[in-house]
Amino acid sequence: MSRTWWRIVALGVLAVVLVIVVTPYLWLIMTSFKSRIDALADAPVWFFTPTFEHYPKVFLDKGYLPLVLNSLIVACTSTGLSLIVGVPAAYVFARHNFLGKEDLFFFFLTTRMAPPVSVVVPMFLLFGFVGLTDTRTAVILAHSTFNLSLVVWMMRGFFADIPREVDEAAQMDGHTRAGMFVRVLLPLAAPGIAATAVLCFILSWNEFLYAFILAAFESRTLTVGIPGLVTPHGTLWGQVAAVAVVATLPIIVFTFLVQRHLVRGLTFGAVKG
Amino acid sequence: MITGGMGSRILDKGVGTLFLIPALVLLAVLLLGPFFYMVGVSFTDLSFALPGHDGNFVGFDNYRHLMREDPVFWQSFVTTITFVFSVVSVEFVLGFALALLLFYHVQRRRIVLTLLLIPMMLAPVAVGLMWKLMLQGEFGMLTHYLRVIGLLDPRNAPLGNYDLVMPTVMLVDVWEWTPFVTLVVLAGLLSLPREPFEAAVMDGAQPWQVFRDITLPLMRPIIALVLLLRGIDAFKEFDKVFILTGGGPGTATELLSIYTWRVNFRNWDLGYGAVSAFMVYLVVLILCSVFYKAIYWTEGRVAK
Repeated sequence: MSRTWWRIVALGVLAVVLVIVVTPYLWLIMTSFKSRIDALADAPVWFFTPTFEHYPKVFLDKGYLPLVLNSLIVACTSTGLSLIVGVPAAYVFARHNFLGKEDLFFFFLTTRMAPPVSVVVPMFLLFGFVGLTDTRTAVILAHSTFNLSLVVWMMRGFFADIPREVDEAAQMDGHTRAGMFVRVLLPLAAPGIAATAVLCFILSWNEFLYAFILAAFESRTLTVGIPGLVTPHGTLWGQVAAVAVVATLPIIVFTFLVQRHLVRGLTFGAVKG
Repeated sequence: MITGGMGSRILDKGVGTLFLIPALVLLAVLLLGPFFYMVGVSFTDLSFALPGHDGNFVGFDNYRHLMREDPVFWQSFVTTITFVFSVVSVEFVLGFALALLLFYHVQRRRIVLTLLLIPMMLAPVAVGLMWKLMLQGEFGMLTHYLRVIGLLDPRNAPLGNYDLVMPTVMLVDVWEWTPFVTLVVLAGLLSLPREPFEAAVMDGAQPWQVFRDITLPLMRPIIALVLLLRGIDAFKEFDKVFILTGGGPGTATELLSIYTWRVNFRNWDLGYGAVSAFMVYLVVLILCSVFYKAIYWTEGRVAK
């Protein structure tokens, strides 16, 4: 077979793949703008007059707006906490040698991988003892478990990318070790920190199980609000779809911002995309 | 060790410890503490549903019961293993093929890669929801077209039929995670050295031989990495299946994570639930240590 022929086949396959990838999400967005009749029609409706009633109905009348705020607060705080605690630790892993370093690093990996369904069981009981049930603090702390380890893993790589000559030059200039970290290395690592922050934000914003168990009522986040709207009969699909769109669209935008660093983040720094 | 330097070594070490401690304390409080508490609870009869079960020590009773007298646990174990092996192998083959296609036949990949990110970056709950919407029995878009082309009996609904539900759930997972395999494999392919390929072409090797004798061996670390990463994640799967089926119909899609959730937070059988949670944790820890080895393998061969 000729090369041109192969190219046409390849592009055809690719087109089909992209349609499959994109259509479910487009269908969700379309449903959030469909009237109830169009959404429940026997044959799928692709062209319709859009209605904008679902968004105000679910976010204002049904009071889902605070959930957006909860999601924002949880994701931002958990990201901030993980960065403040994790970035210095990552720097130590990148530049210092000490006994048991790699074992400790493995411990950070296990915390990142820990199955939420297992961790949340004792967490639920312990947070109950200290009065954190149904608080944003509980969810923030829970999300910090996986985000902190992600920060340590990703940032170790970013610090390792900075040549050691930079450290030496900074020390020649009379910086102390702490001063060098703050004034020289942090600015150099800033792009990495930004990418890590966005990834942390996404993971926390998207998380469901911890938030669902630890804060199912007053402090629930957007993702926790979604299953509550799905009932065995008479689900208001327009409204659930509206919530799901609000829960996902900001993330898609964010994703495009950090695309370059995503593969690296998702493989724990092992593959530099 | 730190090279050269004017500051005192002792102070340097001090800064290192100081930088490390907050992270360690936070993880100890949030993960080690709960972990040991869970192990402790697993030896008690703690239950929020049964009167008088307020945490009395029962020794290994829970473990014995789980191992010997709980067919539901073992069924969900088998379900989980089936799920993990099926989705990971399908995602791997499709993802790898797609990566090769992009590598060899597409020059301007940026926009394609951007679109491929969508499924895996959406909240898994939202992924579950949108597929539930498309797979509804009466009006689901996909259900409709499957019936039109004759792939689905009009009396059946993909999520309501005992035989169809598991393949359907797997399909959703394949949709969500195949692009991930593609992105990682493509990054790996792009990082391979060119010389072996050029030499092989000079020697007149066929494309298939190049793939089998050069590409695959060079890609082995990346392959190990992506399989383990996907395996661990698939083993922990909860969100999508929870919203798609809740583990049903019956227990057809009750994965270990859903079983653990049900025992703890529906039956409120916390002593027994802790054993199940512990088992899940244990499997993940084992997979983790394998993954750790794989990652060092990768770093030695590819990243640096």
